[in-house]
Amino acid sequence: MGNKQTIFTPQQLDAYQDCTFFTRKEILRLFHRYRDLAPHLVPLDYTSRPEVKLPYELIGSMPELKVHPQTSPSQDPGTTRLNTALMQRIAEVFSEDGEGNMTLDDFLDMFSVLSEMAPRDLKDIRSVILRFKIYDFNNDDYICKSDLEKTLNKLTRNELTEDELRMVCEKVIDEADLDNDGRLSLEDFQHMIVRAPDFLSTFHIRI
Amino acid sequence: MSLFPGGGVALGKLGLTEEDIMDEIESGKRDLVKELVAMSSREQIQAIRVLPMCLEDKKHIRSQVHDSKLSKHGLQLTCFTDCSEQVSRSFRRCGANVVSARQAMKLWQGTMKEVGGKFGTSVLSYFIFLKWLLMFNVFSFLINFGFVTVPQLIQPPNKTAAVGFRGLELLTGAGYFNQTVLYYGGYSNGTIGNEPVYDMQLAYFFTIAAYLVLCAVSLIYSVARSFQKNFVLSTTGSAWRLLCSWDFSITSEKAIRQRKNNLRVQLKESLSERSQRAHISTSAKLKQFGIHLGTWLISTALALASCAAIYYLGLYNLEVIKDSQDSISLLTEASTLLLPFVVSLINLIIPLLYSLINKTEKYSNPRTQIYVIILRNVFLKMGILGILCYYWMYNVPTTISCWESFIGQDLYRLVIIDFIFSMLESFFGEFLHNVIGTRCLPSLGVPEFDIARNVLDLIYAQTLAWIGIYFSPLLPLIQMIKLFLMFYLKKVSLNQNCQPPRRSGRAAQMQTIFIALLFFPSFVGALSMVAYTVWSLKPSEHCGPFQGLNITFEAVALWMDRQGSVSESMWPVWIYNNVIKSELFFYLISLIILVLIFFFWQITQGRKLLITLLREQIVNEGKDKAFLLDKLQKLQKEKQTTASSQRPYRQIPQSFDRRQEIEPDYDQDFEDLPGRPLPEEDTGPVGPPFTSALIQAMMARRQAEEEEEEGY
Repeated sequence: MGNKQTIFTPQQLDAYQDCTFFTRKEILRLFHRYRDLAPHLVPLDYTSRPEVKLPYELIGSMPELKVHPQTSPSQDPGTTRLNTALMQRIAEVFSEDGEGNMTLDDFLDMFSVLSEMAPRDLKDIRSVILRFKIYDFNNDDYICKSDLEKTLNKLTRNELTEDELRMVCEKVIDEADLDNDGRLSLEDFQHMIVRAPDFLSTFHIRI
Repeated sequence: MSLFPGGGVALGKLGLTEEDIMDEIESGKRDLVKELVAMSSREQIQAIRVLPMCLEDKKHIRSQVHDSKLSKHGLQLTCFTDCSEQVSRSFRRCGANVVSARQAMKLWQGTMKEVGGKFGTSVLSYFIFLKWLLMFNVFSFLINFGFVTVPQLIQPPNKTAAVGFRGLELLTGAGYFNQTVLYYGGYSNGTIGNEPVYDMQLAYFFTIAAYLVLCAVSLIYSVARSFQKNFVLSTTGSAWRLLCSWDFSITSEKAIRQRKNNLRVQLKESLSERSQRAHISTSAKLKQFGIHLGTWLISTALALASCAAIYYLGLYNLEVIKDSQDSISLLTEASTLLLPFVVSLINLIIPLLYSLINKTEKYSNPRTQIYVIILRNVFLKMGILGILCYYWMYNVPTTISCWESFIGQDLYRLVIIDFIFSMLESFFGEFLHNVIGTRCLPSLGVPEFDIARNVLDLIYAQTLAWIGIYFSPLLPLIQMIKLFLMFYLKKVSLNQNCQPPRRSGRAAQMQTIFIALLFFPSFVGALSMVAYTVWSLKPSEHCGPFQGLNITFEAVALWMDRQGSVSESMWPVWIYNNVIKSELFFYLISLIILVLIFFFWQITQGRKLLITLLREQIVNEGKDKAFLLDKLQKLQKEKQTTASSQRPYRQIPQSFDRRQEIEPDYDQDFEDLPGRPLPEEDTGPVGPPFTSALIQAMMARRQAEEEEEEGY
């Protein structure tokens, strides 16, 4: 049924359709977007499940992710990574090696969670967990003070002073930490989200 | 990166015996598969989609579920189950395709995505609000057209003195349009058809009544739902909300940069807010109070002055029309445009004055500033509408013969001129501001899209449309066209001239306020005016569907009497006589509703108390957990020390050379426990919070062992 396509076996396509929020057409469209990033690396035939990973720089050049490192001469290359938005963090969270290099599965996964078809309420535990992990820079499943400081730096272009950073982090932990352990666990985070209704509606990428 | 039990990588680094951990994970997966197998296939797919795992694991789980399902059914009827699977799968695919096709056909979907991507969610909320209002008008137009206009078109009433089309009618609505179905006067009071008889009076009344009731229900539902979502659970914390307000849907580089700047500015403000609160002296407070009082007086005076001006202008207008009742010259018709022109001019200029005044005031909270501006604008607009309604209800019916049509024409003029002024406002307000801001006066800056002012304009326009339904049944069509054009106008102006808003925030709360404003002064006002007209005013003698009656509602009363005499359908008559006409019924209903409100209020209070208690309980649970883990470690240590002499030396895995901090430090509570590990910075991967207590206990044991080993 449908057009004959030779990129995936029917079972593969079925599996993708069942596990993500995309339809067949969208999956094929995303595949072609993925392939356009590096046509020489990505084969047209995925039936044999090739192990292809695209490096982070290519993924980051997609217009929807907008992670161009800002190449103004005043910033040295060392700080370019720090200055990009949190999109980079999303790519890191979804990639298997944690560095942002994504296989096709990771790619589809990322856009599936962030798509508008995913249920936009607290029942979508996945986007809550994802957002939590984005802020959790050291991957210890808690958002501690250093994570918060890094987040703030990324969101404000490193222009807050030390004092201000510290005060804001303290304020945040004060407000959000329920079990008083000095850092935010997933439950604290979830509790905060219940009280910030804009939160989930701003968390999707339109592709 | 897998989110489901911890990911073997993180735990593996701890150097724990991997079999135990893998066993845990496997048994968790098995339970999950068992659960999924028990569901129907549609629920299965939904459940799989929202699982917090990476795609590989999900595919794995899915294949396991399929395998176990197949093995359950065994070899019996494999062909049949295969076919039924195929069929149900293809149905699902078709369903998904239909849904996506329907989404693609939704009005303006692509444009709204674009706007949301460039300007963020709060500006997008304006467009969503516009679309919602458009739906109201489409519905109104359809039922008015279907139930009232079409029957009338089939059997049009006799027209007196038809006037030729002159072109000015598009603006004034009078002249050629006067006797058409556009206005109340174009409808007859007779019946259409022979058997069954279609009574125009009843049709007109009931259509409009049904539409207003449906609108009321829909608005109340929206207000309640929006309120519940956005206000009831609100917190006092601001810093956290700022962090959460990062809008991932913005895709333009410039907008992201600006967002970052804004966030930084807002964080700085919120920090400085705290420090400033303590340092206001009494003289400064008095001065501020004086300024506030002054500005309120000025704004109220401006509003009252504009209302008086409009009222006297209306009276003057009425004089002019009355004098030339028979020969309506072109000049007289054009002079009827004076009133709407002045009204729109006031609506344009005075809000600008208000925002200028507002700049001189200083508010502790930027949100209060926005609320004050909104409140003043609402007073102004509702005051203008109120004075117009008064003028229409008291002065017009006594002076003009077919006064409902006249009011309809007035409303038509107001709507059209309002639209023209919106276009001019976009041009002058945004385009010129942009040009001046970028070329001549860089300090002025690029204009921002002022959401509050635009939404209030929309609410004002919609109020006019709602008032006009009774007097001009086809006015919703005009409003529809207007909203449609407004969408594109605003979109173009936005793209060319504006920058994203500086203050990110609280879009959801503002949304609730706007919907509430749409309900309370706007819809309720329109409804009360229509109700007053229907229940108290005498309809005009010679035109319209209610000519000859004392009040409009009499049409229903007469119909009920007719029904009563027929004596076939007794129950509507009984309901009418005993329910709608009797006051006792309404007293009882009001009393019951008040009692229910009191009950619900008490329940809410109880729930608030419950929330505080539960919060305390969470804190206590955390402390308990820490205490128990401590105890466990202590016991392990004691066991180790007694058995250490017999045990051989164990290899410490080289990859693990850091201690974990599992529990928080409770120096004040647990000082007496010896050998407690010192609190440390979180530098290494700690066990995930999602695993069971068993794993945590094992980690505690491992930690105790490590400390013990390091002691050697």
